[in-house]
Amino acid sequence: MTRLRAPRIHLSTVSAFALCAVLFVIATLHASGFASGDNVRQLLVFASFVGFAALGQTLVVLSGGMDLSVPWLMAFGGIQLSHWATGGMPGGAAIALVVLVGALIGVVNGVGVAFLRIPPIIMTLAVGGLVQAYLLSLGLLDSSGKSPVPAAAVSAASDRLGPLPIVAWVWLVVAVAVGLLLSRSAAGRRIYAVGANEEVARLSGIDVARVRLAAYALSGAAAAFAGVILAGYVGNTYLDIGQPYLFASIAAVVVGGASILGGHGTYWGTVAGALTLTVLSAMLPLFHLSDAGLKVVYGVVILLGVWLSQSGGELLARVRRRATISPEPPHSPEVTTSAP
Amino acid sequence: MRLLKVAGLRKSYGAVDVLRGVGLEARGGEIHGLLGENGAGKSTLMKILSGVTRADAGSVTLDGEPLTLGRPTASTAAGVRTVFQELSTLPQLTVAENLLYGAEPTALLGHVRGRRLRDQARELLARFGLERIDVDRRLGTLALGDRQLLEVVKALRETPRVLILDEATSALSAEDSAWVLGQGRRAAEAGAVVLLITHRLAEVRAHAERVTVLRGGDDVLAVPTAEADDDELIAAMLGRRVERLYPRRGGAPAGPLLRVSDLSVGDRVGPLDLTLHEGEVLGIGGLQGQGQRELLMALGGAVPWSGSARLRDAPYAGTSPKRAIADGVTLVPEDRQREGLLLADPVARNLTVGSLPRFTRPGGLIDAAREATAAAAQATQVGVAHDRLGSPVSALSGGNQQKVVLGKALLADPSVLLLHDCTRGVDVGTKAEIFTLIAELADRGVGIVLYSSDLSELANVCDRVLVMAEGRLVGEVPSGELSEEAILRLAVGSVPDRAEVAA
Amino acid sequence: MSTATVPVERRLRLPRPRIDWGIAVTTLLLATLVVVDLSLQPALADITQIGLLVQTALPLLFVAAAQTLAVLVRGIDLSVGGVFAVANTMTAVWVGAAGGNHQLLLLAVLVAGLAMGAINGVLIAGLGFQPFIATLGTWTAYGGVALMILPSDGGAVPLVLTSILNGTVAGIPASIVIVAVLLLAWRVLRTSRFGTQIYAVGDDEERARLNGTPVRRVRLLVYALAGLCAAVGGIMLAGATSTGSPTAGDPYILMSLSAVVIGGTSLRGGAGGVGLSVMAAFSLILISDIASAMNLDVWVSVAASALLLLVMVTARALVERRAEGRTP
Repeated sequence: MTRLRAPRIHLSTVSAFALCAVLFVIATLHASGFASGDNVRQLLVFASFVGFAALGQTLVVLSGGMDLSVPWLMAFGGIQLSHWATGGMPGGAAIALVVLVGALIGVVNGVGVAFLRIPPIIMTLAVGGLVQAYLLSLGLLDSSGKSPVPAAAVSAASDRLGPLPIVAWVWLVVAVAVGLLLSRSAAGRRIYAVGANEEVARLSGIDVARVRLAAYALSGAAAAFAGVILAGYVGNTYLDIGQPYLFASIAAVVVGGASILGGHGTYWGTVAGALTLTVLSAMLPLFHLSDAGLKVVYGVVILLGVWLSQSGGELLARVRRRATISPEPPHSPEVTTSAP
Repeated sequence: MRLLKVAGLRKSYGAVDVLRGVGLEARGGEIHGLLGENGAGKSTLMKILSGVTRADAGSVTLDGEPLTLGRPTASTAAGVRTVFQELSTLPQLTVAENLLYGAEPTALLGHVRGRRLRDQARELLARFGLERIDVDRRLGTLALGDRQLLEVVKALRETPRVLILDEATSALSAEDSAWVLGQGRRAAEAGAVVLLITHRLAEVRAHAERVTVLRGGDDVLAVPTAEADDDELIAAMLGRRVERLYPRRGGAPAGPLLRVSDLSVGDRVGPLDLTLHEGEVLGIGGLQGQGQRELLMALGGAVPWSGSARLRDAPYAGTSPKRAIADGVTLVPEDRQREGLLLADPVARNLTVGSLPRFTRPGGLIDAAREATAAAAQATQVGVAHDRLGSPVSALSGGNQQKVVLGKALLADPSVLLLHDCTRGVDVGTKAEIFTLIAELADRGVGIVLYSSDLSELANVCDRVLVMAEGRLVGEVPSGELSEEAILRLAVGSVPDRAEVAA
Repeated sequence: MSTATVPVERRLRLPRPRIDWGIAVTTLLLATLVVVDLSLQPALADITQIGLLVQTALPLLFVAAAQTLAVLVRGIDLSVGGVFAVANTMTAVWVGAAGGNHQLLLLAVLVAGLAMGAINGVLIAGLGFQPFIATLGTWTAYGGVALMILPSDGGAVPLVLTSILNGTVAGIPASIVIVAVLLLAWRVLRTSRFGTQIYAVGDDEERARLNGTPVRRVRLLVYALAGLCAAVGGIMLAGATSTGSPTAGDPYILMSLSAVVIGGTSLRGGAGGVGLSVMAAFSLILISDIASAMNLDVWVSVAASALLLLVMVTARALVERRAEGRTP
């Protein structure tokens, strides 16, 4: 395996986009309709669901954590919206409020991880369970287990603005903003630093807890928003609507080249990961692969994607290993001469 | 007679040569002392013998036959047993499981016979007079001293051909040390080659028949202990100091800068008072682990402390590294790789990560141009080549890495700089550069608190030295009287009964 | 001998009562829930009824056991859901469709579980994948395999299996016997040399290696065993429901993780055990049983389980931090 230099130009991001492009070309060669405007728009909408779900996941993973509450926050986004809209709240206000509450739920995750030192997997699992319980307690799902969605969400997910669906525009703007946040802002630097080495970050004067809180809060907000547009697209919402996105959000992050250990990766990589996963699932039926085959290929692609972008991780691991066998052990007794 | 022969052993980590062709001859039936300053290569040599680390070149023979090394199991199979300074026992397992790890009494189907296991463990402990230790306790719940004793018991479970005591007594009370050394003697009497690695000259004098001195990765002296006096051994360990390692200082300390009173860190450190003056280099000395780390961490806001402090005329809170840095107090932590550097990140980012607010525009974005300029200027000040700014800091040598950590601290423009052993594992040239930098800073009025494990450093770089023992300040060596000897006398003399205890 | 004359040394040697609070809390939790459930449903105090309740718990118990193994070596196994589904659908489709030798075919299902676990082991121990990523990938892939075997719920589970599960051994319901066998097997493993190695690897990989432990081999075997356990879980569900489902395994992934953590097995590895997870898994089953006995909505038991997880893990984190604070 080759050793990567410091990823100033993120090779992993580039290769994730390349992978996506190759898949797209293969699919188009196989069925020319694949590149049609309608199909591409469709793909972008699908990819945006993953993209938003994986947005917060990216920030959390970069800061050295993991968010398993994403699917339940997505369900929350849809169901709570429907609940409030049915109660007469204007659609736009309801969407804003849902996203805000999503952020607050994310803060709860952050408090558990940052202050109570609960392992992220466990904290977000428990909070996800509580959100699930809350949604169940609403009990407003209609007889088919589904509840309707306000028009604002439907239009966000289905209407077009110029050549692209509205939601794709929103995604583009958000991606640019998050890209700037990570690559150009002090906050982004802090996220990477915390993910790379929490203790170094702390001793360098970074408020680690605040960084963590912010990452989980953004994750909650992004997941809730993903739930809103997903519900808008589907036209109604139900409890399990977010379930596929636990896997998809993490897969997009790692296929996009981020290290699951934190400190390394980009949101543009995640965008490429989301597109790749979407193109992959759209093209496999063309090759007469069933859902079953799709899932197998999915799993293998993730492992391959990680394998390919592992050079960076390999380097990290080697560096860490070297750190543990520094020439002199860090705690060797030091007075070199005994009493004269 | 049994003979362990090491010849031409080489090992380097990156650009640092730790062993440069070390040789060693040790005989069975004797305890062979191995002396050397920090960084001389003792630990690396032992790690190679015990199979933890692989040598780059060289040979090791026992009774003329080459030893297969490179894996712990291979060394163990060859009869080499090591009592590690860093414990090798597993804290979650019980005492019995640890003592007989890999040699558990099993029944037909591989089922460990619990009672037999405990009985055997008890027998083993009884053989060493340690019946008081409960074999069912989790090892991690035992006191550190007992854990170290169990390391010895485990190493001597079967009769070794070579027994290595790697700083095995450094964390022990005088009584326990004597016990460990007694076990070493017994092993020697049974014919084993016993290597005693220690930093205590007196221990070698009292227990070892022969001694080899390492310096800078080479063996520089090998004699029967009786034929060398202390001065000779110390001279061999220290070698001739590099000329002008320590620069001349211009100015003298001015008025008080940081005044600390009643500082305590938990029940481990303090209460203690100290005053740091502007332009002063204040040394902190003492044996290893007497609370120096906690003191520096507390001053830098990295661990909670109680007491009060004033920085110039304002109260100093030091509640977090963030606030400390904002107030002008920066810490260069002990372990540069785990506490100081983001190893995979480029040098430039490491330099600026401690001063992000300075490069942040009102909107939250970083002013990349200003950041790059500042990083380059800082690299110049600490002497890191500009073409390294973009490469990951892990690719740098230890000395350059340390310069980056220093650069990071200086970029925050501190008025108080806390240096924790900032020359450890650093080559001599870089050391001289760092000392020059320290002198320059002090001349500019920066107050510097410097803890070092190297006595000559304390004696030659500092304006005065405070000595710590068991968490308290036990004395001060003022500027006129600074010498390695004066510092050491305070360090070991202040705790007469437990002079050798470095808990 | 009067106590006054006992020399200090002797007194120190007296065995101090050692309570493992981790085990005590988990046991107490289970005991409390049992008492509550029994007081709500006196009819439960009957071995057949208990057998039925245990039968519903069997799949989770085995998946929790699998998850525990992975966590003990400082890992995680998300693929238990996939392995579970493959075993479940294999049982419902192939074993059910075949005439004759069901036992042998069930054995084949177990071997398949072992093999899938071994693949995880190779990815993690051999190729150096992060456990989370490796098993995330294989979870999906195995889930796809399950879909290939059985595209939608259905199939026919061999009667042999159902009748074994519903049968009794010496008057004791088979489900209880199966749990006893699981615990016994765990005990055998725990007390074997390999068992010690598992704990050593989870405790501190470097030190384990220093002591001559074949760290990679131990990891690989542990993941293989986890696959085996997850496969048994899938078979148990097929037997209990008499049908197969390609997605049946997924809910068990996070539930098993909950059970492991509630039970007190540390995510840092090296401490805990299958017995604890089994108790905790059974506690989770009891919570939903109690909720349904009290005619409470589903959400109550979901919330209770999540809160339980949160409370237990917070308490343990605080205790751990206090212990660390005492010996820094």
